[in-house]
Amino acid sequence: MTDDKDVLRDVWFGRIPTCFTLYQDEITEREAEPYYLLLPRVSYLTLVTDKVKKHFQKVMRQEDISEIWFEYEGTPLKWHYPIGLLFDLLASSSALPWNITVHFKSFPEKDLLHCPSKDAIEAHFMSCVKEADALKHKSQVINEMQKKDHKQLWMGLQNDRFDQFWAINRKLMEYPAEENGFRYIPFRIYQTTTERPFIQKLFRPVAADGQPHTLGDLLKEVCPSAIAPEDGERRNQVMIHGIEPMLETPLQWLSEHLSYPDNFLHISIIPKQTE
Amino acid sequence: MVGNGDHQRIEPRASCMLSYWQTQHLCWYVVRRIEPRPHACQDCSDGYMCKTHFQIKSGTMVSHPGTYAGVQTCPPVEEVLEVPLDDAEATETAAASEVIKYEYHVLYSSSYQVPVLYFRASFLDGRPLALKDIWEGVHECYQTRLQQGPWDTITQQLSSDIYWLPLVNFIRQIYQQEHPILGQPFFVLHPCKTNEFMAPVLKNSQKINRNINYITSWLSIVGPVVGLNLPLSYAIATSQDESNAL
Repeated sequence: MTDDKDVLRDVWFGRIPTCFTLYQDEITEREAEPYYLLLPRVSYLTLVTDKVKKHFQKVMRQEDISEIWFEYEGTPLKWHYPIGLLFDLLASSSALPWNITVHFKSFPEKDLLHCPSKDAIEAHFMSCVKEADALKHKSQVINEMQKKDHKQLWMGLQNDRFDQFWAINRKLMEYPAEENGFRYIPFRIYQTTTERPFIQKLFRPVAADGQPHTLGDLLKEVCPSAIAPEDGERRNQVMIHGIEPMLETPLQWLSEHLSYPDNFLHISIIPKQTE
Repeated sequence: MVGNGDHQRIEPRASCMLSYWQTQHLCWYVVRRIEPRPHACQDCSDGYMCKTHFQIKSGTMVSHPGTYAGVQTCPPVEEVLEVPLDDAEATETAAASEVIKYEYHVLYSSSYQVPVLYFRASFLDGRPLALKDIWEGVHECYQTRLQQGPWDTITQQLSSDIYWLPLVNFIRQIYQQEHPILGQPFFVLHPCKTNEFMAPVLKNSQKINRNINYITSWLSIVGPVVGLNLPLSYAIATSQDESNAL
């Protein structure tokens, strides 16, 4: 369906206007101007911020620079989470642009993974893709691909090439004709109010009686507080890619169309804004 | 692995699939067998096991009378904990060394249906150790222990460089990952990824014919490389207990 393919493009090309400001305690030789950038929702911070790093390093001495890390309102930003997820979870209720603070010192070892190179991002991305396929196809599709196909997924993401990426990714979105969907749906549910970083469980797209499971069915099963109370005023928003899909949306469709490039549905539960 | 050089296919070994409850049972079994005095082991409602131990890392090659003989940089845990810190000999060691806290968590991956080993090491002030530091600290210790007896055939095979080198290179490439329950950076060992290293071991063992034996063997072989010491003799004993129970 043409409409459905448009969804894939809209998801891929989503952008967040962001303003990067250097942390005030960083030592600079001259005043550091903020840097503005449109961040791709589907990518990762350390993959798309080379220009940000160069911009601030121009006004700093080499000896004052170590590993770059980002923070929003005191919260260190996990580079290994997709950018769109970070924004939806932490900043979607604030006015644009998204104000991110840049640090070059005092790396928060207990909170953030190190990102020593682009290879680390690729390794992380590919391990998510493989885990998603373990859930969807018992790893059969990903394992039957050649190494160059895996590389094409990564290069497509890195170079923002929708067609290059989906030429391979479409195979990960197929399922046998006799089935009604994937084996299990790859998803993670995030809430800032809990200790645990995310909820991930085994969940089938279709019920035993053949009825397709919906987003609401998933939440009721693995995160009932997200949609409480069921009748009456809802306390939370359920957000994916900056939108609130209807709870009646079939989960299989969501997985095929609203997954991130790592093939996971990353779902944010955020408190509803009172006007 | 099958296929040509370009086409790598590593399938999770069917026999290493364990249910969540089998993993729980295994973890408790491991703890009870190797820890006559279990310390720092907790269960949590999510069912992951953790083991913490402390080791003293010597700064230089200084020989001490008594417990610390020769180049032994990581004596067994029980000995470390029994050395009083105000002992004259130990003071000399303590000045030149730092105490390192090693944490090992065995979690269950529902995606792959296998247990996964998460580990990290840090100094007592919270400074984390990089992976290469963990490896270097453990490597010397393991090499020393390999030269001591008694060890069975399997372990002696492990001491040859040809076997170790690929495993070491693999370990060196491990990246940090987020602990799914604590949300903090850990290093991760995944049984399916180390499948190829198990092949030489499995070929030579007649006892690896049950799910639980595969995982204990896996932990016994791969664990020490990252400082988790589960003697292989334990793995053999496990299988004997299993067959006795039949």
